Parts: sequence; structure tokens; C-alpha cells
Amino acid sequence: MTPGMDLRSLLMTKLFENSSEAMFFFDRQGKALALNPAAENIVDQDILKQLYQGNPEALCGTCRGYTSETELRTCLNCYFHTPDSEEFTSYQVYLETKDKGIVPYAATFHTIDDENGIRVFMLRDLSRQFTTQEKFYQNKMMKHIIEAQENERKRISRELHDSVAQELMSAVIDLRVLKYMTADEQLLKKVKQTEVSMTRLLNDIRNLSVELRPAALDDFGLEAAFRSHFKRMEQSYGLIIEYESRLLDKRYESEIETVMYRVCQEAVLNALKYAQVDSVKVSLTENDGVLRLLIKDEGTGFIQGGEPNGTGLGLFGMQERAELVGGTFTVDSGIGRGTTILLQVPVGLSRGKE
Amino acid sequence: MINKVDYQIELDQIRVALGYDFMSLALAEPAEYDYVIRWKYASGNTNDRYKRIVLQSGRGIAGIVFKTGKPFLIPSVQKDVKPDTLFNYPITKMENLNSIGAVPVWNDARVAGVLLGGFRGERQVTAEMLRDLDRAARKGIGDLNGKELLLS
Repeated sequence: MTPGMDLRSLLMTKLFENSSEAMFFFDRQGKALALNPAAENIVDQDILKQLYQGNPEALCGTCRGYTSETELRTCLNCYFHTPDSEEFTSYQVYLETKDKGIVPYAATFHTIDDENGIRVFMLRDLSRQFTTQEKFYQNKMMKHIIEAQENERKRISRELHDSVAQELMSAVIDLRVLKYMTADEQLLKKVKQTEVSMTRLLNDIRNLSVELRPAALDDFGLEAAFRSHFKRMEQSYGLIIEYESRLLDKRYESEIETVMYRVCQEAVLNALKYAQVDSVKVSLTENDGVLRLLIKDEGTGFIQGGEPNGTGLGLFGMQERAELVGGTFTVDSGIGRGTTILLQVPVGLSRGKE
Repeated sequence: MINKVDYQIELDQIRVALGYDFMSLALAEPAEYDYVIRWKYASGNTNDRYKRIVLQSGRGIAGIVFKTGKPFLIPSVQKDVKPDTLFNYPITKMENLNSIGAVPVWNDARVAGVLLGGFRGERQVTAEMLRDLDRAARKGIGDLNGKELLLS
């Protein structure tokens, strides 16, 4: 034997024994000729025995179907019976493993010895890529959902603000004009009462519109939206918000503005609900291409990772939103220490394009 | 318009007579302020935070009473209000009240104000006390005549 051949067979043996890729060798009848250690590791003892005994159905004991062009998991046109078809040069298959449950694998199944009909079935674990992929997918879905929600809110809010409230406003003005048209005291008193109810209704509609999504956020940007939101918080709950801002830009991308606004809204509401304080500090600054939102209270604080007072979804939601624009979200809290929430979002040039 | 002091004195008197820890009166603002409802007067209060709040019709204690014209009772905030809805009633939190009752104050067949009485400790507002509160409100406060029906 030439030294070259020697080296090659040595390499092949090493590959067989040490590769993390699982390899199954089958003869023409579907009897397993050999399994490398990686392959033996994933298959159950019982099925391993059946494979070596030459049960052609043995692989089905562990196989949970493959991904065809039309289905996610199917046994239709099983790869095992139609090797060397175009379809099975590289495909995805699910196996029931000994200790990790059903795992997705990237597989190839082809003949390596035409004469004796020897075929090899090779598998590479895909579960890591799968989790990453799933995470990406989830992220994308979340982004779509939030976007859809914001758009829908924007639409309804606009409709209320621009059309319903306007109509009502003109009706109120018409009512006010009435008092110059009659001197009937009783009638005027009644009209006055109606005017009061309608004015209140008008305010309710405006509130509803702002609560859905403040028009100020789209028309004038963060600064204006924050100021009016804080004023409303003070009016609704008596909560004083000390706000300071140093922004270089008036406007940012709409997506970023939305995230900033919603996170701030949630954080301030949390402080109000749980921190037992009547004032909260909020600062909004831009430095070195990073937009920073800091919300700080000196309230009761909470144990992170402890049993939440509310649903516990608020913090999660803020985290999600921050991730959507490539920002970071941190919470610092402890019993008696108050709570500090920091949201940092890259803006301008340093913002990584996706 | 009757001046401020009259309402305050009347409210203090009602509170003493009915024995509440805290009592407040919500009234609608004049036209310049869009007729919004605020807690205008309080008796037995621990702070002035209540003054900052603008009440929305249909929300919170005063809002509900204002809109429905019906008395409203929470015998025990601790037991009867779920923690996640507690913030619908900011005044209970601000004044640390544990039991509250609120009734409408009528004027010429319209709800013109809301009278609220509450306790901080163990003591609870009972249905009977709510009736007494309602009776007090129906006698009229300040220049509100307390009449639910124009003919009565």
C-alpha cells in the first residue's frame, strides 16, 4: 500500500470514530453495517440491536419524519427507500434521540458503493441553529405585532382626534351660540347643562385618543409627547415627574420614538403603581450617538427575579421593545433602594443597519 | 357662587357628624377649565395631592358616581379590590384609605358633585352609613340644592 493510501485510511478511521457527525452505513437490504460512535450515541439500545440485526424498518423506530417540500414532517416518499434522488442530497430529518427527545438534523443519504449497494446516512445536529432561528423568527413576529398594534392605535387615535372630536367641537360651539338667540332662562339653563355634558364628552374622547397614541409623538416628537404625557400623569394620579432633557435632534426614527415613549410610559406607570412614591425623575439625553432614557424613583424597590406584584410582563415587554431597535434595557432595584431603569438606544450613524 | 370657605366648613361639619376619618367633595370646574371634575375640598386629609388630580368621567370613584348617579361602596379596599385594579382608585392610595363610600350630590336633577367618606383603619363603611351619607348629600351642600328630581 502506498503511504498516501495509508494516511487516507487512517484519516477515514479517525473521521469515523471521532466525528461529531452521526454516520450509519446500510447495505442494499437496509441492514445496518456499521454505526459510528456519534450515531450509536443518539439511538436507543433496543433500536441499535434491531438495526444490526437487519430489520429494514428499524430506522423508523427512531426516525420521526423528514421535511419535504410540502410538509414540515412527513413519512411520505421516505428517503430510506429512494436514495440518490435529487431531493435527498441534503434535507432535514427529525430523530427521536436517546436523551434529548426529538432533535432536528441536517441529513444526507446516498450510495457510496454502487456494486454492493452500500449507502450512508449522515446526520448533523441542527438544534442550536434551530433555536437561534426560532429566536430570530419570534423577534421578527414581535416586531410585526408591535408595529401593527401601533399603526392600528395611530389610525383610531387620528380618527377620534381629527374627525369625531372636531365634529363634537362644532356642535358645542353651536350650542354656545344659542345663548345669543333667546332670552328664555329655562331653555338657556338646559342648553348650558347640555353644553357641560358635551364638553366633558369631548374631553373624554380627546383623552381616549391620547391614551391610544398621542398625536404629539408623530407630529412633534418625543419632547412634546413626554411633556404632555407627564402633565397628564400629574392630572390623573397626582404624580409629579421631574423631567429634564438634552437632545441634539428634534426628531428620531419613528420606531425609536415609539419605543422610547412606550418604555417610559410603562416605567413611570410601574413607579406609580408599586413604588409608593409621588415623584419620579425622568431624564432623556443624547450622547455619542446613544439616546439615553433614565427613569428613577426613590420608592420601595423590588427584588429582581422575585415574585412580581403585577403580571411581571411589563419588564419583559420593555426588554422586548428595547431589543427591537437594537437598544439595551437595564433595571436596577432593591428593597428600600428605589428603582432605576435605563434604556439606551443607538441613533444616527452608530446605529447598526439590519 | 358661594365662596370657598362655606364648602370647607360644611364638609368639616358633615365629617364630624358622620364620624369619618376622611371626607372629600368633588365638583365640576367652571367653563374656563372645560368643566373637568376635581376633588375641590377635603377634610381630614394627610396631604394635598388630591388637588392635583383631574377626574375623568366614568373612571375612578368620583368618575363612576358622577356618571351613574348611584352610590358607590368599597367596604374593604384590601379585600374587595384586586391589586391590579387598585390604581383605578388613586384617592384610596393617596390618603391610605381602607374603606370608602361615595354618593352623588345632585343639583337640579343633575349630578353636580361627589361626596366621599372613608376610613383608614379597620373601621368599615356600612350600607347604613352610606345611606346616612346619601341623606346628608340630599340636604344640599353649598349652593347645590341636592335635588334629584326637579319637582320635589
